[in-house]
Amino acid sequence: MKKTVLLSMSLLFFVGLFMICPLTNAQSTIKVGIVDTYTGPATTFTMDVLDGFKLAVDKINAKGGVLGKKIEYTTRDEKFKPDIGLAMAKELVLKEKVDILMGTINSSTTLAISDFVKKEKVPFFVTFAKSDKIIGEKGHKYVFNMNENTAMAGRAAAVALAKKPYVKYWIAGDDYEYGRAIAENVWNNLKKLKPQVQKVGESWWKVGEADFTPYITQILAAKPDFIIVATGGSGMVNFQKAAKATGLSQKIPFYQHTAIELSVLKPQGQNAPEGVYGTANYFFYYPDTPANKAFVDEFKKAYNREPRIGALSGYMTAQFIAEGYKKAGKIDTEGLIKALEGMSLDSPVGPLAIRGCDHQLELPMYFGVTKKDPKYDFLVAGDIQIIQAKDYMPTCDEVKKVRK
Amino acid sequence: MDFIYSIIPAGVLSQVFVGLSRTTILFIVASGLSLILGVLRIPNVAHGSLYMIGAFTAFTVTKIFGSGSAGFWMALIIAPLVVAFISLIAERGMFQFLYEREHLMLLLLTFAFSLVFGDLVKLVWGGEYKSVPVPHIFQGFVPLFGGLPFPLYNLFLLVAGPVVAILLWLLTNKTKIGKIARAAAVDREMVGAVGINVSWVFATVFVIGCYLAGLGGVLVAPTVSVTLGMDHNLIIEAFLIVIMGGLGNIWGALLGALIFGLTQSMGILIWPQFGIIFPYLAVVIVLLFRPTGLLKSTW
Repeated sequence: MKKTVLLSMSLLFFVGLFMICPLTNAQSTIKVGIVDTYTGPATTFTMDVLDGFKLAVDKINAKGGVLGKKIEYTTRDEKFKPDIGLAMAKELVLKEKVDILMGTINSSTTLAISDFVKKEKVPFFVTFAKSDKIIGEKGHKYVFNMNENTAMAGRAAAVALAKKPYVKYWIAGDDYEYGRAIAENVWNNLKKLKPQVQKVGESWWKVGEADFTPYITQILAAKPDFIIVATGGSGMVNFQKAAKATGLSQKIPFYQHTAIELSVLKPQGQNAPEGVYGTANYFFYYPDTPANKAFVDEFKKAYNREPRIGALSGYMTAQFIAEGYKKAGKIDTEGLIKALEGMSLDSPVGPLAIRGCDHQLELPMYFGVTKKDPKYDFLVAGDIQIIQAKDYMPTCDEVKKVRK
Repeated sequence: MDFIYSIIPAGVLSQVFVGLSRTTILFIVASGLSLILGVLRIPNVAHGSLYMIGAFTAFTVTKIFGSGSAGFWMALIIAPLVVAFISLIAERGMFQFLYEREHLMLLLLTFAFSLVFGDLVKLVWGGEYKSVPVPHIFQGFVPLFGGLPFPLYNLFLLVAGPVVAILLWLLTNKTKIGKIARAAAVDREMVGAVGINVSWVFATVFVIGCYLAGLGGVLVAPTVSVTLGMDHNLIIEAFLIVIMGGLGNIWGALLGALIFGLTQSMGILIWPQFGIIFPYLAVVIVLLFRPTGLLKSTW
């Protein structure tokens, strides 16, 4: 008799233990759900976000976590499809009960998730999508943008180009949102800053266009002073190759957003054209500060490659989440949002702040031109000009106006 | 030359030649597709993936042999052979068992292969895009047509296109295997009845067709970034060309490629904002007047 009581008592104890354990477990970690593209060409960029984030999270957890809680994360592959991405975000929030969402490289997915988190009141950190609607028209309290957008890139380029002597411009680009948005933003801002510029022609090609030679011969015949080329991803490499083969890069200077970035220049090795203008938010070799060096060394040690812009945004996202909760003093969404508004942290590129009015990370933008460097077996950015966030970001009033 | 320019502006002439060099790659890939379609009756959706594998293999070969000209020539020899070998395995391992079935089965199988090949490429080469340098002797450009620069590599393509076309003509018209293949395209039972091993004829044609896809991949590699997904764009264009030219007709593929390449480059000249729609417009017009394609279809 006594034996059975003891047995059932201990059974009950263990069953109870198992039932309580998952509950206490759920409360002892901060869960981050990452929805991003991990198949297809975009992986080039998204892996850096994830690896940068991992690096920071491991460091934070090793130091005891945030308010005694470890940061835990799980990833979902949206395969660059907005419907899949949204379904995954829903699953992460409703079933996995994540505290925070993060991602994605696809602007459409990002906007869909953004609408969803607004209802669910879950903070969402945008790490790579470039649509200016994310923080503009469709922006709200729960969305944070950790990288630049097309409007900002366009303004930054216009600020730098207005100082150059070119007058006759040709506009060319991918015939879809990213291409059109970049080109329009550069051109409209440039016209405002320097009214005497004129447009001599335009060409638009389909996304993924492989051979730009026919377009380039057409542009060469029109003899503009400068070309604004709005392509993204692997199209950048295609265009630069054609520009070199036709001698365009020696004859007419041109600008591409991110043309001076590692992901475009490294695959081409020494064969990339020199003298191409571009803008980018991060280089592993610039600024040449101890903070950046330490970050690059740490990243290289962990992943055996140089970090690119995505690595910085992933790394900083983790830092902001940790510091935000610490400042709020508890694991609480509203507290986190309040704490993050206006918060500034040291980063590999110097102190970075999240602007209070629109939750945009205030990243400096670098304008430069491709050149050879004996230190590397690929081209790097030279003559780098820093364009501070305040000089190219829309003002809080402008954001308020579009957000209505 | 000045006399010519007075009739045709230099810009137009230059654009025509750029269009023609682009035609080369389209023709090489589409002719392989057409060959397989004509003889084996397989709408080979995986053709684009083989083209992609050709380009990625070219990247690896140029990495091994250095980015000088030697690397490119080695790639030109090795990469299409690698593609041909892969296709031989696929044909002997899978396709040969399905010839008697409906076309739909074959279509599904090639579609499955295109997915598998896509993942294989990602597994072997990773998700990052690659770049194959233009071989040293073809770097730079020559001023043609009133000083407009014309890339040397495009000049090389202009030569390579007719060479491949002539070789294909010789192969299909002057060799025994070519004659048997043409006969098999028309009546495969009869070819079998006279004691020819049709199975191996099919395998040979399939491998030659896929070899051409690989060759197209190597030739395109120096002009573009070698990337996952480069197969999708091409397969659509290649099918449009084959449909425009007449299913299974290699000369139709040449004609279709010429129309496709030229309407594109001319379209860019005439209306640069909407240059992309011209080749598709050409396809629509051709099919309106000749629904079975320009030349005789073997279907």
